[in-house]
Amino acid sequence: MAFDKMELKDIEVWDGNYAAAQAMRQCQIDVVAAYPITPSTPIVEGYGNFKANNYVEGEFVMVESEHAAMSGCIGAAAAGGRVATATSSQGFALMVETLYQASGMRLPIVLNVVNRALAAPLNVNGDHADMYLGRDSGWIQLDAYCPQDAYDLNFIAFKVSEDHDVRLPCMVHQDGFMTSHTAQGVHTLSDDVAYGFVGDFQPMNDMLDFEHPVTHGVQTEEDWHFEHKARQHNDLMTKVFPKIQAAFDDFEKLSGRKYNLVESYDMDDADVAVVCMGTSVETAREVASEMREKGVKAGVVGLRVIRPFPFFEIAEALKGAKAIATLDRSSPGGAPGMLFNEIAGCLFNTDDRALLSGFIYGLGGRDLTKKHLVEIFTQLQANVDAGKVTTSLQQFIGVRGPKLQFL
Amino acid sequence: MANRGWDEFEIGAMLRTFDGKIDDIAGTNQEDRAYSKSSSFSASVADWRIEKPVFNKDFCIDCQFCWVYCPDMSIIARDKKMIGIDMDHCKGCAICVEVCPTNPKSLLMFPEQADEEVELAQWPTKEKKEK
Amino acid sequence: MLEIRWHSRAGQGAVTGAKGLADVISTTGKHVQAFAFYGSAKRGAAMTAYNRVDDKVIMNHEKFMAPDYVLVIDPALLYTTDVTINHKENTVYIITTHLDKEQLVASQPKLEGKEVYIVDCIKIAQETIGKPIPNTPMLGALMKISGMYEIDFFKDNMIRVLGKLPQKIIDANMIAIQRAYDEVK
Repeated sequence: MAFDKMELKDIEVWDGNYAAAQAMRQCQIDVVAAYPITPSTPIVEGYGNFKANNYVEGEFVMVESEHAAMSGCIGAAAAGGRVATATSSQGFALMVETLYQASGMRLPIVLNVVNRALAAPLNVNGDHADMYLGRDSGWIQLDAYCPQDAYDLNFIAFKVSEDHDVRLPCMVHQDGFMTSHTAQGVHTLSDDVAYGFVGDFQPMNDMLDFEHPVTHGVQTEEDWHFEHKARQHNDLMTKVFPKIQAAFDDFEKLSGRKYNLVESYDMDDADVAVVCMGTSVETAREVASEMREKGVKAGVVGLRVIRPFPFFEIAEALKGAKAIATLDRSSPGGAPGMLFNEIAGCLFNTDDRALLSGFIYGLGGRDLTKKHLVEIFTQLQANVDAGKVTTSLQQFIGVRGPKLQFL
Repeated sequence: MANRGWDEFEIGAMLRTFDGKIDDIAGTNQEDRAYSKSSSFSASVADWRIEKPVFNKDFCIDCQFCWVYCPDMSIIARDKKMIGIDMDHCKGCAICVEVCPTNPKSLLMFPEQADEEVELAQWPTKEKKEK
Repeated sequence: MLEIRWHSRAGQGAVTGAKGLADVISTTGKHVQAFAFYGSAKRGAAMTAYNRVDDKVIMNHEKFMAPDYVLVIDPALLYTTDVTINHKENTVYIITTHLDKEQLVASQPKLEGKEVYIVDCIKIAQETIGKPIPNTPMLGALMKISGMYEIDFFKDNMIRVLGKLPQKIIDANMIAIQRAYDEVK
């Protein structure tokens, strides 16, 4: 069955959702099983529109829940097709059981996660609660900071996830509303160039190969489970980074746009640095350069790959920084915060042992303003000057009421 | 197989039924198929059995009830004729005996150590229905 | 960096207007951003939409904005929301109203001393498009006041942006844009 190609301008003004939907269209997916939820709805809505207008050849399966959406993706991936879907927040939470099935079965599925807060209280806006919920699920997690990234990282995701040495599902995260509903200029690839980059789907252990019948989704008890999980972790730790790096390199040659496992900005001589994810990375970059005009040697480190966690690359990026702030956009649930803990782990055995403090911000879409970031950088400089952390290790910013700080 | 390390198997908790490529699997009898070691066909469960079924072809009407009901696919049939029992996979559940409709039954359970020739020689006769 | 804030009601097309404006500006090589504040707001609820325009890549994702232009496309929002919030000294206001400028400023003293322009986008939309969708006429008024682009260049690009709508609706929108351009004062 023939399908139509779409003519795109070199720069289209797209929001993150539409950028992701366009990338999905260009990858020529075999099966999308989806159950739309705010703020990721326009991804599958846009994709469904492409399907209805003959820009997509594959199947679009409407299901009754996110659990069924991911289950459908798992079945289609095991059958041997290129598969993707999208979700957010409560839908992601309902998907969690099946996320572990997908990664354990080593099925290459691309999941666009438009990050949104988790209820209660119910909230449709962007924070990283759902992203954090997925971080032990055995998936690869890539993080977009803007609509351009959301477009580009979808191609990277298919390429890495489907590689026969990897065969692990991959999430592409973007911030709900701040990226998903914010229109910006997106440099496009033509349909042929984009598809050429991801290439034809190469099946592996597919159930539709009748000459080599396989059983997927087997049960293992105490005698085998550990070995399978160990194998999966080994492959996440050793095989994924080189493939992502290779995909980033190829993509740069193709598009001129360079991505890194860890994104560092102004870090060469930085005294103070913030580590964060999503749109905050870009806002922090802007504030860091403004701080430099005021004489504060500020830098920013952004996680491009959240899982597998680039442990040594982050330590390297932060080398030389004297005071570091981690910015966690998720309610820490009685702990210091994911980024604080993980960055502390990276730095603990280094010689620098920088002064580390953590911030909880932006829950339920609360604005992270440039003013907040100026305050954080100023505080970090004060820590450098004092030679110690002068505040509590965990502070809430942008929340009303008496100052909230712990540890 | 049981002692393989984490790096000694294929990814994805995925099992292959056969070694290598297969064709015309429907036209190949089970005993002639190249089942892999990870297929349950390669594993004997004969020692799970305490009682065994014995098949008496003199009374069998080839109704296939036993073939349909056997939970372990251990009734061997060829061209819709019952020819025997796969004693490597039969666990001795006696469902085949329960569903056998002939009078006397064509399948009966005996202790594992019973001699098949002896039991066939003294097979029960037709039961008269009491009026 | 040029920053614009729209005051609208959900359903009046502020998001479409902001995205359409960004699309047109993007064709001239500038970097753009268009976003909005959403809640679980329903049609008719007050909402705001935003544009940023710059010569370099826009990195700022904060929602806070001290706008250069405030576009009010629903007349009643002037009284139920604070359209002057986070204003700068030279913030320019373009407000949809049936009142004349003196009456308008008298009815909302917060506008006193501010650079205010008026245009009745609701009436224009009703008379041209046939529905009170005041987003495209407001863009015509913005072109006049800001001098951003020649109106013909803008209209040509808006025809492309509105591409998928029926020709009749596109034509009506073009008349609406031109009328607002001519009538804003």
